Amino acid sequence: MLLSPEGASRSLAAVFTPIKSRGLVDEVCGRIEQAVETGLLTSGQRLPNETELAAALGVSAVTAREALSQLRASGIIRTARGRSGGSFIADDVLPSRERALAQLHELSRLQIRDLALHYQAIAAACAGVAARRSDAADVATLRSFIPAADDDPPSWRLALSEFLLEVAAIARSARLARELIRLQADLGTFTLLPCADSGYRARTRVILEDVAAAIECHRPGAAETEVKALISATTDWLLAEQAKRYWPDDFDPPH
Amino acid sequence: MSEATSAAGPSAASAEPAPVATAAEQAAVELDATIAGIEQRLAAWAAETGAALAAMSGKVTGTAVDKLIRPVVEELVQLPGGYAAGAGFIANAGLLGPERSYIAWWQGPDLEPVDALANFSPNSISRYVKAEWFRIPVETGRAHVTGPYVDFLCTDEYVLTFTHPVFARPDGPVAGIVGVDVTVQRLERWAMPALRRVGPRAVLANADGRAVVSAASDIDAGDLAAPDEPCRHYPVGRTFTVWSDAVAR
Repeated sequence: MLLSPEGASRSLAAVFTPIKSRGLVDEVCGRIEQAVETGLLTSGQRLPNETELAAALGVSAVTAREALSQLRASGIIRTARGRSGGSFIADDVLPSRERALAQLHELSRLQIRDLALHYQAIAAACAGVAARRSDAADVATLRSFIPAADDDPPSWRLALSEFLLEVAAIARSARLARELIRLQADLGTFTLLPCADSGYRARTRVILEDVAAAIECHRPGAAETEVKALISATTDWLLAEQAKRYWPDDFDPPH
Repeated sequence: MSEATSAAGPSAASAEPAPVATAAEQAAVELDATIAGIEQRLAAWAAETGAALAAMSGKVTGTAVDKLIRPVVEELVQLPGGYAAGAGFIANAGLLGPERSYIAWWQGPDLEPVDALANFSPNSISRYVKAEWFRIPVETGRAHVTGPYVDFLCTDEYVLTFTHPVFARPDGPVAGIVGVDVTVQRLERWAMPALRRVGPRAVLANADGRAVVSAASDIDAGDLAAPDEPCRHYPVGRTFTVWSDAVAR
């Protein structure tokens, strides 16, 4: 229950392309990227060899080898030769601001808006049911995901996605939960960007408290409204940031 | 089976006028037998696993744990008409290494390994210590049922997870847990006919009063429910109850 989205992917290449099942190789890569993002595997750590990896994930050795080579190409792992050789998690592997910005700038305003609408629809459905079904233990768990104002941006990003997953867990709908996990994977790393802004963090903390309170007091309408506001806070920030790429070079932005 | 007049087992032969089990009582006994059956199988597995771990000479390895656990999981998940969607063992810190856990868990008829990547992490225990299905049997030394809940770690389904602590020595620390995942969907299929015989508003509820399977159309699995007095209460397994008449909370 406390885990982050399965298959969370850094790649935005697949967003808004027709849905096809990801190949096994992509699936293996996704698992490893997710393990890195959630801190299960850390920089410098040695990865199992392809035989061990294949056995652990129940895939063929060929698939494991291809996945390792794909991870190497995308800079997630590095390979050292020789006696102390093997595959290691790369040093600069955690989502960086530069990479997140690059991802954001690949998207149009329309894509961000549409993704947000879908995310709001699913999250609000979860919140409404969660407000009907919550008990005291659920609400205590939910509140444990509200991050402290001074937590670092990667922790904030993870906490926000886990908070929403917990709302889905309280709703007790496997379908909605799976849809939410898929949407979070589609969102990619650019949700890291607003988490570096203390104003955004302060606004978001208030909304998170309001969501938890509405779910605690069994107010489905309020829970839906607050969850939508939570996603709008992120979207509005991202749209404002994304709009900057259209500013002329000599433009002095209003403050 | 559903004859209302059927006698209640051996006591029917005694001198006292035998209490006649109603169809509802008999249905509740059937439900209890199935859930208690899962719990007893798990307790026996925990005892076997503890004895086998105690008998391992030298350091316990992941390979040895896999070899010990996998045949039982295979038997459980491949049982025709069986209840297990997945099953396995998770080591407590200390068995294989100080901060290390070890997960030997498989799901589905093809025995897909679950979360096995975590076995390569030096701090893998952090992944399980907070989870109810691990924490409670380890802390209390007693069996536990978690859920129904959406299981993000394994099945992504709405499940019950039955877990039981494993002791390698009777007075020793908890070496790990064995567990079985049972999907609510599968449970509904076999529990619903019996539940309907208990009553049109009968509900199988967990210890928190949450509906697991419900005959009443306005109460769904996952909803909080309450007995609607006068209501007959039938214990089912260690922690569940069947209410003959329930209302949504």
